Amino acid sequence: MTRIILLPLALAAFLLPLAWTALAAFGLLPDNSTRPPSWTGPLTLQHFSEIGVAEPTFWQELATSTAIAACAAALAVGVSFLSAYGLARSYFSSRRMLTQGFLVLASLPVMAYVIPLSDVMRRVHLVDTFAGVVLAEAAVTAPLAVFVLQGALAQLSPEWEEAAVLDGAGLFRVLGLVVFPLVAPSVAATAIVLFVIDWNMLLVPLVLTSGEVKTVPVAMSDFFTFERELDWPTAAAALIVSLAPLALIVALFHRLLERFRLDARYERDIG
Amino acid sequence: MRLTRRDRIVLFAPLAVLLGGWLVLPAVLGLVATFTTYSPFTTTVRLSGFANYTAVVQDPQFGAAIRNIAVFTAAAVPFELAVGFGIAYLLRRPIKGRALWRVLFLAPWLVSPIAGGVMWHFLFGGATGILDFAFGWLGLPEVASPVGDVRLALSTAIAIEIWRVAPFVTFLLLPGLVSIPNEQWEEATLAGASWIQQIRHVAIPELRTLLLTVAMLLVGLSFGAFDTILILTGGGPGTATLTPALYSYGRAFQTNDWPVGAASGWLVAAGVIAVGAIYLRLARERPAT
Repeated sequence: MTRIILLPLALAAFLLPLAWTALAAFGLLPDNSTRPPSWTGPLTLQHFSEIGVAEPTFWQELATSTAIAACAAALAVGVSFLSAYGLARSYFSSRRMLTQGFLVLASLPVMAYVIPLSDVMRRVHLVDTFAGVVLAEAAVTAPLAVFVLQGALAQLSPEWEEAAVLDGAGLFRVLGLVVFPLVAPSVAATAIVLFVIDWNMLLVPLVLTSGEVKTVPVAMSDFFTFERELDWPTAAAALIVSLAPLALIVALFHRLLERFRLDARYERDIG
Repeated sequence: MRLTRRDRIVLFAPLAVLLGGWLVLPAVLGLVATFTTYSPFTTTVRLSGFANYTAVVQDPQFGAAIRNIAVFTAAAVPFELAVGFGIAYLLRRPIKGRALWRVLFLAPWLVSPIAGGVMWHFLFGGATGILDFAFGWLGLPEVASPVGDVRLALSTAIAIEIWRVAPFVTFLLLPGLVSIPNEQWEEATLAGASWIQQIRHVAIPELRTLLLTVAMLLVGLSFGAFDTILILTGGGPGTATLTPALYSYGRAFQTNDWPVGAASGWLVAAGVIAVGAIYLRLARERPAT
């Protein structure tokens, strides 16, 4: 029974900073100069419109972030799905180690190679382009997708595919009509997790762009770099707006996200 | 299905192009460049041997960054694992809407590291912050933000990282924990095992590979710590929160010391690869006994 008390307490502790931010965004701020501290209002939506004053291009940056994250996640998952299937249906002794090698690659901090990457991108004229950022972010996240999808695909019995092959289906018919429908939930869950990672990524767009293509995290770092003034309620409103799409997607698809498993051998539903 | 040679080319080529062009090629070119005087802004390039690496290793700032990241990793990763595991453990028995609990706990991880930096900057800052609010209620005097204090800045950055990453650990561990057959917990309970013994003798052996995999990801995250600290302290005060990633970024893009930045980036990569080698060794399937 302890967990009836501990679970809500733990959740409250983790969400408290976010709740504080949400209150500030709606104009409810503490006044710490009184003893004891008091709350000041009034409740208002004004701070959300002030975002556009502090950062005139904020809404456009939000759209850019969404488009880049969606394209990068789709590209990474698509490319990884093919390779993960190839890995899952190749039988050689070091396959497991190769798959785990992809996890090591997924753990590699972007900082390790982003400095030469920005130089290469500049030379091939992909700096400050939508495609350049999408490709770079897809490359950062693809190793994790290969690792997760290989696990899901390896759990799949090859018999389904054999039946289709006997009916004369080629690789792409087998993939599209048999394999993909069976692992679609895992693919979708992986895409959602990658979308979140891409949406929040700072370093890649920071060094690969210089103003033409701007994502929300880069805009936030600008406030620091150029020491621009920003008051808390407006910043809070911007934080809430940039968190809302992710929170919405994750909440809507919470049952689907069950299928994101680092080890697909653990199969039981969370429910 | 049995894959032909052509099938394999079709399946692996897209990933090879993506990773080859946007990860492996830049990384290797970068590695080669660190042994020369190459920089995007110079026209003459000479071989320079290990000069760039010597410059990095002898730089006291880099030394501070390495010390900081060692402390950061040694403190953050175990806490992230422990707190994340603790919450997953609380969720291990069926509860109504467990999948929803799982994603509610995920909320801190959804906040981008940079937005987290902005948020904590204001929460720790005086007038409208959470810290002075709590101190005010307790009747204590106001305190300065801990991120401005040399002794507290690194611990604060670590605490923020744990707040952000522990929920992600819960998210990753829960599927493993719920898949442990009930009989195993029951046997342990009947044998009189305390909850700590249950975790040690049931959960950890069952989840060994999963825990190692999560730990590998966490070490990588720690070694790359950048966004939150950039906003919160910029590496300061002094070098109190300077990380290797901040160091590399500063050298390559701010002080125009490109070769030193690239070389220090490769040293971080070497660290992750070393940890990765340990992971690959530990996570090998052990023969059933």
